[in-house]
Amino acid sequence: MTYVIDVPQVFDERSFDQFAAGFAGVEGDARVLVDAHAAEWASPAGLIGLLCAGQALLARAGVKPLLTAPAEREVAHYWARAGFFTHAADLFEIHGAVPRVRPNPERSVLLEVTPVTGADDVHAVVSRIQERSAAILTSELGLDPKATMGFGMALSEACQNIVEHAGTGGWVAVQTYSWRSLGRRVVVIAVADAGVGFRHTLEATQGKRFGDRWGDATALEAALIQGVSRFRDPGRGQGLAGIRRYLDRWHGKISIRSGTARIALVPSWEKDEPLRDGLPPFPGAQVQLVVPAVEREAP
Amino acid sequence: MITEIDLREVLARSVGAPLSDLVTRSTGAKVRSSIEAELSGRPAGAGVVLDFSSVRVLDCSCADEVVAKLVLGRGVAPGAGQWFVIRGLGEGQAEEIDHVLRRRRLAMVAEERDGHARLLGEVEPSAEAAWRVVGELGNAGAEEVATVLRLALAEARQALQAAADAGVVRQADDRFLPLTAA
Repeated sequence: MTYVIDVPQVFDERSFDQFAAGFAGVEGDARVLVDAHAAEWASPAGLIGLLCAGQALLARAGVKPLLTAPAEREVAHYWARAGFFTHAADLFEIHGAVPRVRPNPERSVLLEVTPVTGADDVHAVVSRIQERSAAILTSELGLDPKATMGFGMALSEACQNIVEHAGTGGWVAVQTYSWRSLGRRVVVIAVADAGVGFRHTLEATQGKRFGDRWGDATALEAALIQGVSRFRDPGRGQGLAGIRRYLDRWHGKISIRSGTARIALVPSWEKDEPLRDGLPPFPGAQVQLVVPAVEREAP
Repeated sequence: MITEIDLREVLARSVGAPLSDLVTRSTGAKVRSSIEAELSGRPAGAGVVLDFSSVRVLDCSCADEVVAKLVLGRGVAPGAGQWFVIRGLGEGQAEEIDHVLRRRRLAMVAEERDGHARLLGEVEPSAEAAWRVVGELGNAGAEEVATVLRLALAEARQALQAAADAGVVRQADDRFLPLTAA
């Protein structure tokens, strides 16, 4: 029997838990179909979340799970232009039409879905963003040139989270699109892996300190709010702090989902819960950074 | 004797590629090792200028690995006893370095593009005040610092010694000198 995980019609950070609930329902090494045929839109977090699910299912069962591509031609084309299918082919047995597209024709895709496994990948990602997208970030989004330099720093630190802690590879994608509740364009960095997650990473050094309270939510709080790290070196654990400073300055948002919890630092323009626990379990960590465009004054 | 180190050149040499972004902790460790190798065998008391003018992106992890650990190893690493000044930082880069130094309770002098010196990181307030006086006067002893800051002579001595221990001024006999890249 094949177990079906439905991909939400609009697959983004908000609908991620719906997808994670489907993922959590997979028993043993059952054959799994990830059904995206009805998908109408996916954010970068949605696209790389799908890859994480594929990676985890493949590792668990030893065979590629099935994936139905979006039936809507435009949607499938967008996913292809975002670089999703290039990597999905390694993890899924894909059914449905997969469009062939020329690389990088899409201005809203600042960085296609890109694998991150080592420091070289982080260098390549930062370099590509600085060379290709700095102009877009300043001219179209009105970001201060100083903000684009910090953008590279935040991107680098988010990706290093995979390299240093995940114990497996992950992906990063950067896109720009209109954020409904803000009524402005934003740049979104999504970084995710299907690795061990924050709780496992920090458990050896922090678990005892928190005692019975230790869990996914406390691990996320410890990492993001208190800046703790698994290393005893006081110089470690600065990456998330650096990201926080950057987002603070440019009124951005960060959210991290790991295991059964999600934490967010929510700017005034957004409504979101700062901490949620007891969510459907999902492997690894999913990080999303949102940097809004500068508000332009009316002419 | 002052050695100038172009961080972009060291980066390229360390990773074997013409990169401009000082990112990732592992890259930082390679860059720091290259710098330490370059400085080993140089006499104590010599100056080192770390030039960031050609560096594009600097992240916190790399800043900690290169700058904070170089400063941290001032007393024990190869090239111990040398003093460091940093130059050519963009505003964001200066902030990153300031934060990583504070996290380790370290400090460093940065020379801004207009030639003004700026303290990055953390030193005791009295040491910072002494550093300022030394910079303004060009060099100073405990008497001048005591006069300008209205301190007892012993307190002025302590403040100067704390600034020297923090590596933000250097001592020549009973005088204290500012660190400059020039």
